Amino acid sequence: MTAAIEYFQFVLAPQILVGLVLGVAVILVALGLTIIFGLLDVINMSHGEFYALGAFVALALASLGLPFWLLLILVPLVMLPVGYVVERGLIQRVFHGGERHVTTLLLTFGLGLVMEDGFRLVFGPNPYKPEVPISGAIDIFGVFLPLYRLFLILGGAVVVAAVALVVYRTRLGAMVRAAAFDRNMAASLGVPVQHVYAGAFAFGVALAGLAGVMLAPIYSVFPTMGRDFILMAFTVVIVGGMGSIAGVVVAGLLLTQVQAISSLYISPVWSDPIVFGIMVVMLMVRPQGLFGRLGHG
Amino acid sequence: MTYRTTIIAALLSATAITGSAFAADPIKIGVVTPLSGTYAGIGQQVRWGLDLAAKEVNAAGGIMGRPVELTYEDEEANPAVAVQKADKLFQVNKVDFLTGTVNSGSTLAVGQVAERAGKLIATTVSFADSITADKCSPNVFRVNARAGQQSSALAVWLSKEKPQAKVFYLGPDYEMGRSTVAAFKSSAEKVGANSTGEVFAPLDSKDYTQYFGQLRSARPQVLYTSVAGNDTVRLFTQLQEFGLLNNLTVVGASGTVTAQNLPAIGKAAEGFVTGVGYSAEIATPENKKFVDAFKAAYKTDPDLYGADSYGLIYAYKAAVEKAQSTDTDKVRAAFADLKWQTPQGEKTLRAGDHQAVQTMYVVRVNGGKFTIVGEVKGEDAIGPDTCTRF
Repeated sequence: MTAAIEYFQFVLAPQILVGLVLGVAVILVALGLTIIFGLLDVINMSHGEFYALGAFVALALASLGLPFWLLLILVPLVMLPVGYVVERGLIQRVFHGGERHVTTLLLTFGLGLVMEDGFRLVFGPNPYKPEVPISGAIDIFGVFLPLYRLFLILGGAVVVAAVALVVYRTRLGAMVRAAAFDRNMAASLGVPVQHVYAGAFAFGVALAGLAGVMLAPIYSVFPTMGRDFILMAFTVVIVGGMGSIAGVVVAGLLLTQVQAISSLYISPVWSDPIVFGIMVVMLMVRPQGLFGRLGHG
Repeated sequence: MTYRTTIIAALLSATAITGSAFAADPIKIGVVTPLSGTYAGIGQQVRWGLDLAAKEVNAAGGIMGRPVELTYEDEEANPAVAVQKADKLFQVNKVDFLTGTVNSGSTLAVGQVAERAGKLIATTVSFADSITADKCSPNVFRVNARAGQQSSALAVWLSKEKPQAKVFYLGPDYEMGRSTVAAFKSSAEKVGANSTGEVFAPLDSKDYTQYFGQLRSARPQVLYTSVAGNDTVRLFTQLQEFGLLNNLTVVGASGTVTAQNLPAIGKAAEGFVTGVGYSAEIATPENKKFVDAFKAAYKTDPDLYGADSYGLIYAYKAAVEKAQSTDTDKVRAAFADLKWQTPQGEKTLRAGDHQAVQTMYVVRVNGGKFTIVGEVKGEDAIGPDTCTRF
C-alpha cells in the first residue's frame, strides 16, 4: 500500500501535473489557431511563427527594462495591428479565389518561412532564456511544482475563460459568430464583415503572441521555436473540432495526458505516433471532431 | 609588322603568365552544415572555424598555390536534407572535398553519398562511435574526438570523484544519443559505477519534465546526458526549476554544454563536468594565438566545434601537399597516420579506422566558465580499432 502511495506521489502525480502544464501550453497556442480556422476558414500555417514573434517582441521589450507582467498586456497589443495588417494586406488578396484553402495555406506557410529566417537574421540562431518571473516552488501533498508552472496553469485557465466569454457572451462575439455562420447574411444585417475577419485574425495572432510571452521562460526563445507546438496544436484543433473553443480545451488536456502517462510505460518516442494515431482515427470516425464548428450549433 | 607581332606576342605571353598565376583553380571544399534548426549554433561555430582557417591558408599562399574556396549548404540537422545537399555539391559544384555534417546520422548518410561519388568527407563534429567503428567507410574521416574518447576521459574523473556512484542516463533518441550513452555506460561500469536507468527523449524535445518521474524514482547521484544545442538549455533549466539539481552531479557529452549555449543556460550549468577534446582554456601558445584570432574575428570564444573545424583545413592542406594532388585515392593514402598541428596540439589520423587520436581533457563549469580539471593521454582514451571494412 505504501508503495502504491509513494508511486502516486513521486511518479504518477508529478507526471499528471507536468502533462497539465504542457496541455495548457498547447491550448494557448491552439486557441488562436482554432479561432482563425473557425471564422476565416483559413489554415494558418504561420501560427507557430506568430507565437515565436510574440516571444521575440517580449525579449526585445524586456531588454528595455520593462517588467514581465506589463509584457503580458503589451505584447498582445503590439500583435493586434500586426495581425490586422497581415489579414488585410496578404490574406484578403488570395481569400476570394476559387482555391481558398490551398492559396491561404501556401501563403501562410511561406509567410512562416520568411518570418523564421527574419528572426535568425535579427536575433541570431542561439537560444535566449528569459528569467522565470516567479521563482520558487510549492509542495502540494509532497508533489513538487515550480510556482511559475502553477501560474501558467491558472493564467491559462483565465485566458481560456476570457476568450470564451468574449466569443459567447458579448455583442462583438455575436457578430463574429454570425459572420462565421453565414457571411452574406451577416453582411446584409450590417455586420462589417471585412473588419470582423481582419479583427478575428488579429485576435488569433495576439493570442499566439500571448502564448509566446507566457511560455518563453519555460521553453526558451530561438528562431525555430514556432515548430515546437504547431503540430500538436493542429492535432488538438482537429480532434477537438475545427473552430471549437471547448474542443481545444478538452482535446488539449486529453492528448497531453495521453502523452504524459504513456511516456511512463513505453518509450517516449511512441508518444507522438499515439497522439497522431488518435487524430487519424478521429478523422475516420468523426471528421467534424469532438465538438462542432464556431457559430454552428 | 614585326613590331606589332612582337607586341601581340608579348601581350599574349603576359596574359598566359598572369593567367597561370591567377587561374590556379581554387580547391573547392563543400560544407554541409546546419545553418538553421536546433543545431544552428553548432553550424555557426563550424562555419567560423572553417572560414578563419581558409582565410589564413589563402593569405599564406593557399594549398599548393591554389586558393581554398568554401561552399556552404544548410543540412538542417536532417540526414535526408544533408544527402540532397551533398549530392548537389559533388555533382553540380564539383567540390574536391566535403565536411560540416553535425548530426551523426547525416555524417553516415553523406559518407555513402561520398562513396558513390568517389570523394572524401570528414566530420569535425559528429560523436557517434559507429562512424569510425562498425559503420566505418574508406571515404570518411573524423578529426574530432568520438563518444568513446570523451567517455573514457570522463569515467576516469568519475571514478576518482564519485566512486561507486549511482548513474542515470538521458540521451537524445538517435544515433549519437544512443551511442554516447552506451559508450559512457560501459566506461563508467568498468570503473565501478552502478546504472540505475536510462531514457531516450526525441531530438528537439520541448519539455523534459515528463521524464523527471523516471529520473526521480531512480534516485541517482549522477546524471549523464548527451543532449545538445537548444535541447540542453531546456533540459538544464527545467531540472533546476524542478529542484532536481540539488545533490545531483550532472556530467555529459562534449557537445552538451558549450560556449554557444552556456550563456542561455546560466546558473543551471554550474558544476557540469564533461570529457572533451578541446577547451578555449588550454594554455599553449598555439591555442592562445588561435583563440585571439577567433575572438578578434567573431567576438566570441571558439568551442570544440570551431576548433576542430579550424584544424580540419590544416589536416586537408597537409594531406594534399603530401599527395601533391586532390585525387581521392592519393589524398586518402596521405591521410593515413597523418600527424598535424591543431590549436589543441598534435593529432594523428589513425589509418585503421580514420579516427583522430588526441589528448582528452576533463572540464568543469565554474562561475559560468569552463576550467580544465583533468587530462588523459590520447593513446589511453582512444580504445581499440574495430573497423573491419578497410
